[in-house]
Amino acid sequence: MVKEIEKTGIPVVHICTVVPISLTVGANRIVPAVAIPHPLGNPSLSFEDEKKLREHIVEKALEALTTEVDSQTVFE
Amino acid sequence: MKLELGKININQVVIGTESKIVDGTLHICDQDIISIVLEDDRIASCHVEIANPGDKTRITPVKDVIEPRCKVDSKGGIFPGVINKMDTVGSGRTHALKGCGIMTVGKIVGFQEGIVDMSGPGAEKTPFSKIINICLVVEPKEGLEPHSYEQAVRFAGLRVADYVGKLGHDVEPDEVMTYETKPLLEQIAEYPELPKVGYVYMLQTQGLLHDTYVYGADAKHIIPTILYPTEIMDGAILSGNCVSACDKNTTYHHLNNPVIEELYAKHGKEINFMGVIITNETVYLADKERSSDWTSKLAEYLGLDGVIITQEGFGNPDTDLIMNCKKIEQKDIKTVIVTDEYAGRDGASQSLADADKLADACVTGGNANEVIELPAMDKLIGQLDYVDVIAGGFDGSLREDGTIEVEIQAITGATNELGFNHMSAKGN
Repeated sequence: MVKEIEKTGIPVVHICTVVPISLTVGANRIVPAVAIPHPLGNPSLSFEDEKKLREHIVEKALEALTTEVDSQTVFE
Repeated sequence: MKLELGKININQVVIGTESKIVDGTLHICDQDIISIVLEDDRIASCHVEIANPGDKTRITPVKDVIEPRCKVDSKGGIFPGVINKMDTVGSGRTHALKGCGIMTVGKIVGFQEGIVDMSGPGAEKTPFSKIINICLVVEPKEGLEPHSYEQAVRFAGLRVADYVGKLGHDVEPDEVMTYETKPLLEQIAEYPELPKVGYVYMLQTQGLLHDTYVYGADAKHIIPTILYPTEIMDGAILSGNCVSACDKNTTYHHLNNPVIEELYAKHGKEINFMGVIITNETVYLADKERSSDWTSKLAEYLGLDGVIITQEGFGNPDTDLIMNCKKIEQKDIKTVIVTDEYAGRDGASQSLADADKLADACVTGGNANEVIELPAMDKLIGQLDYVDVIAGGFDGSLREDGTIEVEIQAITGATNELGFNHMSAKGN
C-alpha cells in the first residue's frame, strides 16, 4: 500500500513496529511504532503519558513526511 | 547429560473401569481422567473420547496434543515447574507411550484452534491422524476469561498426560534409545575432527495466548539460553499456544522434536551436536534485536561451525528468523533455516514477510494457503460452529452437508516448521 500510494506522487510515512520488514518491502520514510499488538499506544502507561507518546509518534511522522529523502530512511 | 528413552508401543486404547497397560493395550478409566480434569474449579465439564487412525472422525477445535511420558525411578517428574516440582530434567530414564496422545479440545480462541481428521484427505496433512487420540473435550464455567480457560485446559492436558504416562513406569519398553550430550569442553574434545553443529529453537511467544513455557517460565520474558537437548524430551518446553494450527508446535512436537532426533542420529558420525539455543519471538523490535543478538553470541561462544534454525508461526516471526540467520551468518557460522510459506492459494506470492541474501539455505514445511476440501465425517468430537472464522477458513467454509473447504492452515501440524511431516516435492 505504501508503494502504490507513493507511485501517485504522494509521499507516505510507514509507521510500523517491525522496521526490518518495512525496509525489506521498500518503504522510504519509516517511523518505528511501539509494539505489534499496540503500534500507536502503550496500555501499560497512564492516560496522560500514553497521550504524550501518541502525540510524539504523530509529530515524528509529520516531520518525516515533510523531510526530503534520497534513500530509505528510518526516523528514530 | 544422558537420557535413556524407553518406548512403549501402544496399539489400542480401551475405556474401562481400570487404568493399566497390558500387552500394548492401554486401558483407561474415563472417570479417573475426568476427576483429574475437574480438579480445576474453572472447568465445568469434561468428557473423554477415543479417535483411532482410519476412523471417519473429525476433531476440532484442537488446542494441544501431548505424548504421555514419565520419569522412571526419579524424584522429579515430566513438565517440571508446571505440574511437577522444579527440577532439572533430561537425565536418567524416561518412558514414553508411543502411538497415542492426549488431545485437548475446546473452543478457547475458536479461530485459532485446529482441525484433525482421522481419515480422508485431511488426515494426510496431520501427523495426529496416525496416532490414537485420547480426546479431552473441556467446557469452561460460564464467564471464564479466555486466558484463564487456556491455562485451565493446558494444565488439565498435562496432568492427564502425566497420569497416563505413569501407567508405563513398570512396563518393559519395546525399544530403548540412549541420547547423550556432554558438558561443553568434553563434548568438543570427544569428536574434535567433526563440525560442531547447534540448533537454534525459536519459540512462539507473542503473548495474548501465543505463548510457550520453559520450566514454567513464560518464554517471552527469557533471554536466549542453552539447554541440553534431552531436557526437551522430558517436557522442559511446552505449548500454551492458541495460534494458527498448521505451524504451531504442540507439546507433542516439542517432546518429539525431529531436528533434535536427526542431529543425534548424525552425532559422532557426521557432526558433533553441541546443544540447543532456545530463543523467543516477541512483539517489540528491541526485544527481537536483543534475542537475535544473543542467539548469534551464544552460537559464537559455543564455537559452532553450523546452525539449524527453526521458526514457529509466521508473519512478524519471519523477521526474528531472518535476524537470527543474518547475525549468525555474519559470525561466519553456516545456517539452514526451517520455515513454512504463506505464498497465496496459487503459491505465487512472496513466501516470507522478510528476507535476506544470507538466508541462502532454506527448508520449507509447505504452503499454508493451499486449499483443501475436507469431506463430511460420520463422527464429530468437539464443535463446528466456528469453522467459517478459523484461521485458514472463510465465509462459506462449512457447507450444509458437513464438507469443509479451508486452507491447510486450519489443520493441526500441516506445515510444521520442525519438519515433522513427510510432505516433499520432486523436480523433473
